[in-house]
Amino acid sequence: MRLTDYITPDHVKIGLEGETKEEVIEELVELLAGNCEDCDADKVLEVVMNREREGSTGLEKGIAIPHAKCDAIDSLSIVIGISRDGIDFEAIDEKPSHLFFLMVAPMTESGPHVQAIAKIVKMIKIDSFRESLIKAKTPEQVVESIARVENGE
Amino acid sequence: MNDINPLKNILLYIDGSEPSITAAQMAIIMAKAFGCALRVIYVVNEDLLSELLKARVFIQMEKMDYERDLEEDGKRYLNYVVKLADRKGLKVETVLRKGVVHEEVSREVDESGCDLLVQGELGEVLSLRDSFYEEGERILRKVKCPTMVVRGRDRVERLFDSL
Repeated sequence: MRLTDYITPDHVKIGLEGETKEEVIEELVELLAGNCEDCDADKVLEVVMNREREGSTGLEKGIAIPHAKCDAIDSLSIVIGISRDGIDFEAIDEKPSHLFFLMVAPMTESGPHVQAIAKIVKMIKIDSFRESLIKAKTPEQVVESIARVENGE
Repeated sequence: MNDINPLKNILLYIDGSEPSITAAQMAIIMAKAFGCALRVIYVVNEDLLSELLKARVFIQMEKMDYERDLEEDGKRYLNYVVKLADRKGLKVETVLRKGVVHEEVSREVDESGCDLLVQGELGEVLSLRDSFYEEGERILRKVKCPTMVVRGRDRVERLFDSL
């Protein structure tokens, strides 16, 4: 599976405005809802927040991967948000999170969802890739960085 | 032809991806052409789920939930191949395993005594090191039987349609 089949510049927001975990998730869900037809943003927000309450998806090195399954969408949706200042996302290393991948999958499509999460986890281990996303000035640069890594460049 | 055909049992590995469906079409073509038995395997990638749990992307309950989902996915993919083969008048056996994918496929190769393993085009890798973790590659390195990697979706589809 290729992430760039799911992520276009419209799926990327640089300069998140939210200052709390809840505000950032709301902002990401809004971005996601703006990119999928007929999806129920309130329902998506509810399942993502419920998942976060079970345990934070804030990982190490400034990365967070909030995710959930939801019957309010028809296919896997991914959006990316970047915060220059960083947000307290209750990360494992207790450091601010800068790079957010929100992934929401339909209830019946777990295979691609798991593959996409695993791929992102693998990609963000590459220091230069992670840095390129955090420093990107435009959504296009974010998508180009992802494409480059996916192409093995 | 079957009397002189040394190929008796083909094992097909699928993961639900498009390349694995192409591999399924090719395996069906070969099983029909050579009069072989065809067995198809799907493995629930428990290893990957455990890695995501360890990385704290998943919580335990979530891992179990996804494991159930992947098992259902596997059943659906296997049924799809059964129907695909049935359209060409071929009966196939299905196997669903859980665990480390390349180890389970290798175990099935040994236990079934298959003559040939068929799998789809190898997945993309992010780096040379990453290639060592790509399931298709790991299967290629691990199994002790001739293995065919199927590429060329359009050609395979044409062959399949003409069967």
